[in-house]
Amino acid sequence: MKRTRVFQITVLLLVIVAAVQDGYWLYDQHQRGAERTAALSRLYAQQAEAARALLAAGAPPAQVQKLFPDLAVQSGSVSVGRETQAMLLSEQQQRLRQYLWEGGFFLFALCACIGAIFAALRAETRVLNEQEQFLALVSHQFKTPLASLQLSLETMSLRQLPPEQSRTLIERMLADLTRMETMVGQILDSSRLSHGRMELRRETVPLQQAVSRVVNQYLERAHGDHIDIESQVPEQLQVLSDPLAVDAVVRNVLENALAAVAPVGGGKVSLVARAVGAEVELAVRDSGIGFKADDEEQLFRKFSRLNAGAGSRYYGTGLGLFIVRRLMQLTGGRVSASSAGLGRGAEFLLHWPRAGEQA
Amino acid sequence: MNAVAYRVLVVEDDPHLAAGVVENLRAEGYQVDTLSDGRKAVEWFDRHSCDLIVLDVMLPGMDGFAVCSTLRSRGTTTPVLFLTALGETADRVRGLEAGGDDYLAKPFHLQEFLLRVRAILRRWDWYRASVRAQGAQVLKFGGNEADFRTFRGRSWNGEPQELTEKEAMILKVLSETPGEIVSREDLLEKVWGYDVFPSTRTVDNFILRLRKRFERDPANPVHFLTVWGVGYRFMPGEPP
Repeated sequence: MKRTRVFQITVLLLVIVAAVQDGYWLYDQHQRGAERTAALSRLYAQQAEAARALLAAGAPPAQVQKLFPDLAVQSGSVSVGRETQAMLLSEQQQRLRQYLWEGGFFLFALCACIGAIFAALRAETRVLNEQEQFLALVSHQFKTPLASLQLSLETMSLRQLPPEQSRTLIERMLADLTRMETMVGQILDSSRLSHGRMELRRETVPLQQAVSRVVNQYLERAHGDHIDIESQVPEQLQVLSDPLAVDAVVRNVLENALAAVAPVGGGKVSLVARAVGAEVELAVRDSGIGFKADDEEQLFRKFSRLNAGAGSRYYGTGLGLFIVRRLMQLTGGRVSASSAGLGRGAEFLLHWPRAGEQA
Repeated sequence: MNAVAYRVLVVEDDPHLAAGVVENLRAEGYQVDTLSDGRKAVEWFDRHSCDLIVLDVMLPGMDGFAVCSTLRSRGTTTPVLFLTALGETADRVRGLEAGGDDYLAKPFHLQEFLLRVRAILRRWDWYRASVRAQGAQVLKFGGNEADFRTFRGRSWNGEPQELTEKEAMILKVLSETPGEIVSREDLLEKVWGYDVFPSTRTVDNFILRLRKRFERDPANPVHFLTVWGVGYRFMPGEPP
């Protein structure tokens, strides 16, 4: 930061010095031009003096005119010729214009270079700031499971616990470890996604297979939380995307839905797909805790957890939906969310480009 | 210490951490209630009361700092122990200025946590006992009044004053030995317990607040006098 400031001041001084130099140069050239014009004018004045003396001595005006072609010699009077006068004036103006253009262009080029350097510096600072914020958030995210882990361990070492309570604590610690492991994976993914470093393919993905694969993995957990998962995905629907991205997106959205339903003591999650024009839409609806209309944007932000762990034994890292949105954006799809309000469930709509239907 | 009598409210949105804290407090004999939402915590006080709040900062509904200052503005004087992942000095100061009594950064040591809980409750016992023992619960000085029980006061110009519990405690400590010097360290020890603050400078901020409330000219105090390099002296007398 300090170094950037020093650089900014140096550049500013440089611009000021260059502008002053440029101004002085303009002034100097202008002065020189004026002096040259004045010298020429003086020369013509001397010539006019001489011409008048010759005329006074009785020389014929035609001969005097021949001697001094730049003067206008008329019977009895001598003056600097109109053309010569115009020439003197225009030469001076032309020079001035030339200097103005050259000086202006020089200043413009200088400012443009400095502007480019500044823009690059600013972009770099922004990236650095983002990284710093990201790190701060990441370390903050880790502190809670760490605190829980430490608390469980210290409880075990401090107290004599009955076996079943020890088991509860061990399960809690294992869950905390899983939570941190998931976070590490998600943080790496989201960091890669943020910087666009993830290589994503674009191929035909049969949606039904992808959805049922994910749903099957969550059936047991859903059953334990009294949640019914219902999925209606027509077999022929295919999307254009990256198979791994589709898997991650469906997984994160489903996990989010389950975590939203568990705190209300159970309910329903449905995944319904249909073709809409050139797209395939997958609607994931849940009967969970919902969210306020104003919070839609916040849902997809990195590390935002609207209902962090509220009564649920599942933890959000605040990265799942961020990953969903980035993955959808990067694979040409989009995602939106809506809810009728707190306690009234939510609906997530995923849209992918549609691929040719299966035979 | 009869811990059974103490009721502690734990407001923490992380279920594991909340469970761990609650189990340990119960094991120590405290009666524990738990909530996971900031706004609900504020509502809880409409119908309940407790002896200590263990409050997380990053909460859904309303953050812990806001919960604490809302409770203070509603006249709830229950001590607050902040428990949070925000461990920066600025966050600590913010928490204490919001009316918190102590601040513990996650991850924390269980024994330190329990120690701090005990220390806060002990300080409050001291405060209540000394208010009771004194009989007169209203301190009068220089036309000002301060009620140590209700934390309400009135300044010399008749303006009503709502003291924070820290201000009341500082006033209590100072007024117990009128005319004598009380060091900043003594004030810290008595009012906060131990090294909660990054420096004794924060005590100075609280003294400034007391001066603003009760001095006719806060820039030239007659009641809350600074003894340079040592601490403070409380002079109850009428201004000349």
